[in-house]
Amino acid sequence: MNRIKRRDFFRNGFRAVLGLTFGGLAGILFRKSSAEEMVWQLDPNICIQCEKCAVNCVLPHSAVKCVHSYSMCGFCDLCSGYLQPGARSRDTGAESQLCPSGAIKRTYVEDPYFEYTIDEELCIGCGKCVKGCNSFGNGSLYLQVRHDRCLNCNQCSIARRCPSRAWKRVPASQPYILRGDESQRYLKG
Amino acid sequence: MMENQPRENTKENRSKIGHTIAKRIAVVTAVLAAILSVLMIANYIQTKSVDPLNSQAISQLMTKLSENPEDTVLIEQIRALDLLARKAYFTHQWQIRTGSYLLFAFVLICLLATKYMSSLEPRLPDLTKTPEREKDWESRLLSRKYFLYGGLGLVLLAFVLGILSQTELKKIGIVGPGKDRESSDFPSIKEIRNNWPGFRGPEGIGWAYHTDVPTEWDGPSGSKILWKTPIPHPGYNSPIVWGNRIFLSGADRRTQVVYAIDADSGDILWQAELNDVPGTPERRPQVTEDTGFAAPTMTTDGTRVFALFATGDIACFDFDGNRIWAKNLGVPENHYGHASSLITYQDLLLVQYDQNPGGRLLALRTRSGDLVYDQPREVEISWASPILVNTGNRPELILNSNPFVMSHDPRTGQELWRVRCMLGEIAPSPAYADGMVFVVNDYARLAAIKVGETAELVWEHIDDLSEVSSPLATMDYVFMAASYGTLSCFDRKTGERFWIEEFEEGFYSSPILVGNLVYLMDITGAMYVLKADKEFQLVSRNELGERAMTIPAFMHDRIYIRGFENLYCVGE
Amino acid sequence: MAFLLLSPIFLLSQVQERFPKPDFQSGYVRPDLLTPAPRAAVWEYLDIFVLVVALSLATYFAHKQRSRRNIFLLMVFSLIYFGFYRKGCVCSVGAVQNVSYALFNPAYIIPVSVIVFFVLPLVFTLFYGRTFCAAVCPLGAIQDAVVLKPVNVPQWLATLLGVFPYVYLGLAVLFAATGAGFIICQYDPFVGFFRFGADFNMVILGMSMLLLGTVVARPYCRYLCPLGVLLNWMSRISRRHVRITPDECNNCRLCEDSCPFGAIKKADEENQPIKREGDIRRLALILVLSPAIILGSGWIGSRLDVSLSRLHPSVSLAEEILLENSGERTEMTDATKAFRASGKLSEELFAEARSIQIQFRKGGWILGAFVGLVLFLKLIGLFVRQSQKEYDMDKGTCFSCGRCFAYCPYEQVRLGLMTPEELKELERREVRIKQFRA
Repeated sequence: MNRIKRRDFFRNGFRAVLGLTFGGLAGILFRKSSAEEMVWQLDPNICIQCEKCAVNCVLPHSAVKCVHSYSMCGFCDLCSGYLQPGARSRDTGAESQLCPSGAIKRTYVEDPYFEYTIDEELCIGCGKCVKGCNSFGNGSLYLQVRHDRCLNCNQCSIARRCPSRAWKRVPASQPYILRGDESQRYLKG
Repeated sequence: MMENQPRENTKENRSKIGHTIAKRIAVVTAVLAAILSVLMIANYIQTKSVDPLNSQAISQLMTKLSENPEDTVLIEQIRALDLLARKAYFTHQWQIRTGSYLLFAFVLICLLATKYMSSLEPRLPDLTKTPEREKDWESRLLSRKYFLYGGLGLVLLAFVLGILSQTELKKIGIVGPGKDRESSDFPSIKEIRNNWPGFRGPEGIGWAYHTDVPTEWDGPSGSKILWKTPIPHPGYNSPIVWGNRIFLSGADRRTQVVYAIDADSGDILWQAELNDVPGTPERRPQVTEDTGFAAPTMTTDGTRVFALFATGDIACFDFDGNRIWAKNLGVPENHYGHASSLITYQDLLLVQYDQNPGGRLLALRTRSGDLVYDQPREVEISWASPILVNTGNRPELILNSNPFVMSHDPRTGQELWRVRCMLGEIAPSPAYADGMVFVVNDYARLAAIKVGETAELVWEHIDDLSEVSSPLATMDYVFMAASYGTLSCFDRKTGERFWIEEFEEGFYSSPILVGNLVYLMDITGAMYVLKADKEFQLVSRNELGERAMTIPAFMHDRIYIRGFENLYCVGE
Repeated sequence: MAFLLLSPIFLLSQVQERFPKPDFQSGYVRPDLLTPAPRAAVWEYLDIFVLVVALSLATYFAHKQRSRRNIFLLMVFSLIYFGFYRKGCVCSVGAVQNVSYALFNPAYIIPVSVIVFFVLPLVFTLFYGRTFCAAVCPLGAIQDAVVLKPVNVPQWLATLLGVFPYVYLGLAVLFAATGAGFIICQYDPFVGFFRFGADFNMVILGMSMLLLGTVVARPYCRYLCPLGVLLNWMSRISRRHVRITPDECNNCRLCEDSCPFGAIKKADEENQPIKREGDIRRLALILVLSPAIILGSGWIGSRLDVSLSRLHPSVSLAEEILLENSGERTEMTDATKAFRASGKLSEELFAEARSIQIQFRKGGWILGAFVGLVLFLKLIGLFVRQSQKEYDMDKGTCFSCGRCFAYCPYEQVRLGLMTPEELKELERREVRIKQFRA
């Protein structure tokens, strides 16, 4: 009987200690916590368009897509994000396009402006158009994680392999790092 | 009883039928799942090798198109191929998606069927077998043995892994973040003056602090020549000496090499080739014969040596020949070939990079090669080298170029003062003595600038000017040698010319002050030793036996002279 | 600037307004940039709620109802909800890493849900045993679902393999605390199925693990799960733990082979010695050597600082830069090019990398000593034997899945499938039961 009582005593003791430890740990952690979930996003100003975003997402169709800041776009006829360098003509021919999956749609607006929209179903997130636009254009095309697709893995497989370390966790209420006028979206309250 | 039996039979039959059906379903779905898995793996392997969106075929056609942009047949081909490629990509995506769902469904059904099967055959303990309890102790003993082996194996593995890993990071003396420099990482002014660390000696002003050197020798006969070592690769850079090591560099169109020679024996201790610098240009730049690929003189800070070549490759080695860092500064746009020599200030390596598009002063961290500053200069191209002197209460880095002679703060690169007095293609480097800077160029002037709070031109002289050789300033005199063979001596403070002498051969090397003597070598390698005095007094003329255009190095008891082919050590 | 000469692309990707923004005359209006929001916060609270309910139900089903069927159904629900619906992330197993990361990196803000997912299962286990493993954990659920023909793992193998969860836990905590990465997430074999998307190698690993799981029940749970280490400890000192029999045990041995996980401790044969000859001396030897073992392992762990720290992106980048500088490598990688173009000083990178290596050295000591301690304790365990009077589960490794309940005749009585008289019959004669339903 005594043996059992002693064993029980130890077990109760340990349990109490551990219970308190968890309480304490939880307390420490709660201080460092936020109610908000943190989500992944890439900083387009650090991104070097290495094309790894297209390949490393756990999803077969990457959650990183190209987005277009219409406020920054020059709507140029000779769009360096749409057309290949040295393209033979400024049209929608496949031989002239940079985008490997044909995700950028070019439509005429008024002389001499053209509108370029991105079809996210087709975009693979390789960043070829981004490189062209940043090098010779206004930089209105850039890559972003799309949160209607992103699974928000605990450890993002793309973030791990980004060579320029452009990925960071951002609060879910401000899940995008935007360029142009759109970046005001989060500053207004 | 009779009524119960048929019921029981039907129940048994039902479960038997159920069992068979379940088994069949399980087998079928398992096989289907296996086949599907194999198909998907094959699909994956196929698309891994040929990525539809990066098709070789299309890029080949595209290069053809760039040659014939209007070939409509080719255009149609490309468009068709592109459409196929994109279709292939999206079909592949669809295949993965559908395949995984199907696979999941098959596996699920298979599982359910098997579960149903096993629910119909419960597991019963076999009580006829003898209890395995005796084996308990046996199994424990066995466990102990295997556990020990396994545990030891794990530990050994970890041990080996730990011992085998080496890291590069431990080799470099890492300074914590926030600290700019280690105070012991660079030499004191005393150590600098005790050696010959760069072009025209300590501080670059042509003063030798070892005055106990021979005044007479003869190269051809070997008298007072301790040793003579051939240097395989040519270079117009001058030898530098630290302790008992001499460093030189040499380069031709194909190779760039740094040499270390033992000062006592003349043996080449090591030679390090510098042929794989990241960023080095594919093709070597054009340089002229009399500049070559290794014109800049090396420099050292006592623990590392630095070399710069006409390709823009700059490298840092330790005294044992290990390369610490190397990079390319960008090919200098220089029609003769880059010639400005290197100099260090504490933990900074300073590079005068005045080229055709404009002038720059670069500073790199000596231990890592990191760029600390890149100061643009409003000057044109120059082949002169900087001097680093203390002009009173601050160190100044003084550079000669067209049209300004400029002074910079070596720590930050900020310009301190400038004086407009130069013209043309500048090769002579500045001289300095007691608060006055002296610069010269042919077709411009010999200018004396007083420095201090402000810099002002005090006197100038416009005859018999030097175009290559740098002037020498002592406390009393200024000496200037010209490439057509004249040597002039001026009063330092007033500019009054005391004397001018003409020699048979011209001077590319610069005069060096050794005590109260001046050593000056002409292009045949003959060294003139004369008194630094109001009157011209030749002390000796010493043949070398070889052409030379470099600055000799003066160390205790020894003079080191680099000729076109050999390095000589004069001494006893 | 010299660096930017080397890599013009980096200079040019600075955003510049090269072309003026047009002023449209035709009335064209620029479309809006869509910014779809991530999962709303309210769903997070739903997750926490579901977790609490699931844990409570699992405990209730295991302790009060003792119903394997209900546990199974709850397990299926958890598989669907936490597994396929929530894509297995964040899970309690991975939460260990988040907690380590948060404790050592003030910049990381840990979400409340992660804290809850970490603490709750541990607290429940502390009081009621590993009901979390039985019916709530999606990783356990998917393995449990594929159990077909479980075999017995021999004891020596089980003891040896039982060291790996400790090593895995130590490594995971070390890597998470130093910011090198979350290896549990990286090498989670099952999350690929939940997401319907993973690296090819991970898919193969997952399939192999599941195939193995048809024969060796719950292989990840038993021999890899890092959280299992903590749950094991909690469960051992739990206040109340499920028992095989609802009443008393008469050593009828019917439950002996009922546990696919080998968690049932068999009762002793009569006159079974507690200790063997010479064991006391061997035990004393081990005890004397223990400080050497622990310190030795600690030292070895600290020597692993170099190879382990390479997993950290800063350290691997610093080493790449060093190799390029010294000429051993002539090609620059994307990462080194990007770093050099960023203008950051390589000295600071080296200093950061060195300090991370020092962290790994200290952490390596702790990891090594921890593993040494575990090896030592397990070895002791093989020498000391507690007398077992009846059939009961090993509290540490039992998942409280409830499979064994139905095998016990007392349970049959409780369920009303056998009368007390029939039970007495059984006790009197050791009759083999032909058929009974679960």
